[in-house]
Amino acid sequence: MNAFAATIPILIVVLSAIAAMLAEAIRHPGERMYIAGFGLIGLTGALVASCFLWDADATSFGVVRADNFSLFVNIVLCIIGILTMVFSHDVIEREEIPAGEYYALTLFAISGMMLMAAATDLLVIFLALEVLSLAVYVLTGLRRGSGLGAEAAFKYFLLGAFSSAFFLYGIAIAFTISGSTRLDQVGTAMASAPSPTLAWLAVGLLAVGFCFKVSAVPFHMWTPDAYEGAPTIVTAFMSTGVKAAAFGAFARVFLSTLEPMQGQWVPVLSAVAAATMIVGAVVGVLQNNIKRMLAYSSIAHAGYLLLGIIAANNAGKAAVLFYLLAYAVANLGALGIVALLGTAEHPHDQLRDFAGLWRTRPALAGLMTVFLLSLGGFPPTAGFIGKWYIFAAAVQNGHYWLAIIGVLSSVVSVFFYLRIVVMMYMTEDASAPARPRVSAPSMAALGFATLAVFYLGVLPARVIDYALQSIQTIF
Amino acid sequence: MLLTSIVFLPLAGALLVLLAGGRGDRPDREGVVRVVALAVSLVVFVATLYLWWAFNPVDPEFQLVERHAWLPQFGITYHLGVDGVSLFLIVLTGFLTPLALLSSWQSIHKNVKQFSFFMLALETAMLGVFVSLDLFLFYVFWDAMLIPMYFLIGIWGYERRIYAAVKFILYTMAGSVLMLIAIIGLAWAHSTATGQGPSFDLLDLYGLHLSWGMEMWFFLAFTVAFAIKVPLFPFHTWLPDAHVEAPTAGSVILAGVLLKMGTYGLLRFSFPLFPSAAHYFAPYLAVLAIIGIVYGALVAMVQPDMKKLVAYSSVSHLGFVVLGLCALNVNGVQGAVYQMLNHGVSTGGLFMIVGMLSDRRHTRLIAEFGGLKAVVPRLVAAFLLITLSSIALPGMNGFIGEFLILLGAFRAHPRMTAVAATGVILSAVYMLWMFQRVNYGTVTNEKNRGLRDLTGREWAMMAPTIAMCIFMGVAPNVFLRPMEASVVRVIDRINGVTTFAKSRTSNLDPRAPTLQPPTSGTGVPR
Repeated sequence: MNAFAATIPILIVVLSAIAAMLAEAIRHPGERMYIAGFGLIGLTGALVASCFLWDADATSFGVVRADNFSLFVNIVLCIIGILTMVFSHDVIEREEIPAGEYYALTLFAISGMMLMAAATDLLVIFLALEVLSLAVYVLTGLRRGSGLGAEAAFKYFLLGAFSSAFFLYGIAIAFTISGSTRLDQVGTAMASAPSPTLAWLAVGLLAVGFCFKVSAVPFHMWTPDAYEGAPTIVTAFMSTGVKAAAFGAFARVFLSTLEPMQGQWVPVLSAVAAATMIVGAVVGVLQNNIKRMLAYSSIAHAGYLLLGIIAANNAGKAAVLFYLLAYAVANLGALGIVALLGTAEHPHDQLRDFAGLWRTRPALAGLMTVFLLSLGGFPPTAGFIGKWYIFAAAVQNGHYWLAIIGVLSSVVSVFFYLRIVVMMYMTEDASAPARPRVSAPSMAALGFATLAVFYLGVLPARVIDYALQSIQTIF
Repeated sequence: MLLTSIVFLPLAGALLVLLAGGRGDRPDREGVVRVVALAVSLVVFVATLYLWWAFNPVDPEFQLVERHAWLPQFGITYHLGVDGVSLFLIVLTGFLTPLALLSSWQSIHKNVKQFSFFMLALETAMLGVFVSLDLFLFYVFWDAMLIPMYFLIGIWGYERRIYAAVKFILYTMAGSVLMLIAIIGLAWAHSTATGQGPSFDLLDLYGLHLSWGMEMWFFLAFTVAFAIKVPLFPFHTWLPDAHVEAPTAGSVILAGVLLKMGTYGLLRFSFPLFPSAAHYFAPYLAVLAIIGIVYGALVAMVQPDMKKLVAYSSVSHLGFVVLGLCALNVNGVQGAVYQMLNHGVSTGGLFMIVGMLSDRRHTRLIAEFGGLKAVVPRLVAAFLLITLSSIALPGMNGFIGEFLILLGAFRAHPRMTAVAATGVILSAVYMLWMFQRVNYGTVTNEKNRGLRDLTGREWAMMAPTIAMCIFMGVAPNVFLRPMEASVVRVIDRINGVTTFAKSRTSNLDPRAPTLQPPTSGTGVPR
């Protein structure tokens, strides 16, 4: 039994995914079934299991390690999953998404994400990457009638397949050098590689794979299209979940395995991070579609997270984890509201759709404002502490210029977050579309996200402690 | 607990206002909301007066200190305290907020609940800025303050309100994020210098040894953030837009309190944290201040819009404050702090008057008025007193402040001060000319015939303001005495290096075209 200990949270999620699939199979046509409930049970179970495994440092099969680091990511993923499930129940019927497939795929994606953060073997990381990617490709194109969705899924799939190939090449070269795919052995072998060129190539190819998944410039091209074409709830899910999992693996590989080679990869990633922050913030200003806008915002946020990895000190490592949590609750809240207001006919994702939201839905407008301010990094919200933490880590290691680019790009990004606020509060709605009602559970979930935003913003000490504890386990 | 209560009382009141306002848009609850908000702000004012009473005027150190761990991993504390410099700015905030709420009584009818909420939330942020003794905490309040002000301008402002609101927030943020980097850098420098880990505590950082390069860059980052807020020439371009487009209450708070945060920041943070850099850059800042004084006055002179005229006069007046600070002696700094209070009261009063006129006529153009003296004599009398206070007539508050500033500045930079003194004359020119065109002569515009004179509510706003203008003019010692010890303490902190700075400036010409590191290179003994 102990051999399975580390995989328990993942297995629970897989089981709930299978249950969701079976439920769809035995459902009578037209019968309404609360399939999201399976997901909620599974994710809550995984959350509880992750808490029990805290500090246990369980290992399964030598390739999956439930150290505090992966458990922290697990908990973030469970929160993302639970919020997504609650919103989904409201949304998917309106959006005409097939329920069984949707829930099963989402849960499979989450299991892949959890595995990715916990894997200590390059091949298992690749496996997890594929599990989550395939599920997300399908989710993106789940609305079969939508041309935009099909285009998005196709683009995402093609470019994703390319990057997976890059990643696989990286693994192959790493294997050539070290004769193993285990992270610890790869790390020692790479550091003392007879041919540094080969080692650099391996690092470069792995970095390309990760940068694609976290949508760092110049591998970000798919992001706006995929985020715009996917159903909004899927956008909310993948903009937070995929990013959390990918950054988990990114941090593990680059900060522990490849730590000895810091001198080589830090300059390259610095350039990538600077470009990511600038492009994300500046191009975001030009968008009129909220989903595209938040896609560019997520690119900018990937840049800030990269900054945490570049800082490569203990503060930076913990900052990445804290930021993932802060970003997840705020972004999921914001995109969740967009999803909750949309219907199949009227997606409610244009900037002007938000005009006068304050008049008709003051509570939703208020919550949306909180999430946007958090994304923009205003105190006293989670986003401020997250950004401050990242920049503090960068400054500690002397990356003043990157920190300055970071803060200035965040000022630019505030401009487009405020465009939404201006629409909601300061513009009268000319032709208000009929906005659907938001159910009580969804309001509760949004309320929870808001509380989390303020809790992390006002009393972050305890969560920062957990982040610091969890990061120590991977080094 | 006193300071915590004062700071968070308005926020609690803001939540109370939300409850009192009921769900949704309820015009019938408007009266209740206004009264609750006003009552809360008056309670806060009384609390600030109690603070004054509890304050020990001979103690130069921070008083009523509260200190709790907040983010112990990074040496961030919840550290509050008050000294003679911040005391009166707190009282000023408490004084102006109820007046600002009163001034909106008639002009704001849209979403009064949210308006009152943002006003009170803003008051919490402003008070927080003045009492924070931890740089991180200070930055939290400093940045959080932008949000309510943004909504106040953007929702309840005039025609170009959205442009003004966005410009205000982006402009201020662009400056302050660089300060954030400097704050972080300073905390890590503390870690390197002492080996005790990072600290954001102001009192820990006051004695820190920094290399000249670091000190210079950090000083510039802090100072640019504050200069934008002041606003010092050439960072002033956001101000006319924000002032003109904001609702009256917003302009009163903006001119009365927000601008003081910039000068307060210079005095509390920039100068004492980086004394060598302060001595090096003070003459340059003084030059900018003097350009601001003259430029602001000249531009104010040609404004057709009263509100814009008052806005540019703020650029000019705040230039005096910065000039006083740059003198780096007791007279100049004390005058500067006093002038901050004066400007808060008298410019706040001017914005209220302009608000009253625009409530009545829905225009602020000087050309639309004329001959008001015959129509609304009481209003014009109040207008006159506030105008005289603003142009620093002896016997009014402005005189004391400007006199002390010029006295102090003359000792430090005599030639520049001579230029600055022309600002005194120019301010009389633009203010009196505006006053004359609006109030004297014959009534040229028929619409001005039937205007109402001051109402009871407006008396309630003008009477305390005018009383303060005169009281501060005839009994300045009531205010100067309690701030003196603290001002001397701040000057000591800045001049703690005097002997060293003098020996350094002797071999480093302050007018040298390029910045050079001090000869010792590494650190500055204090």
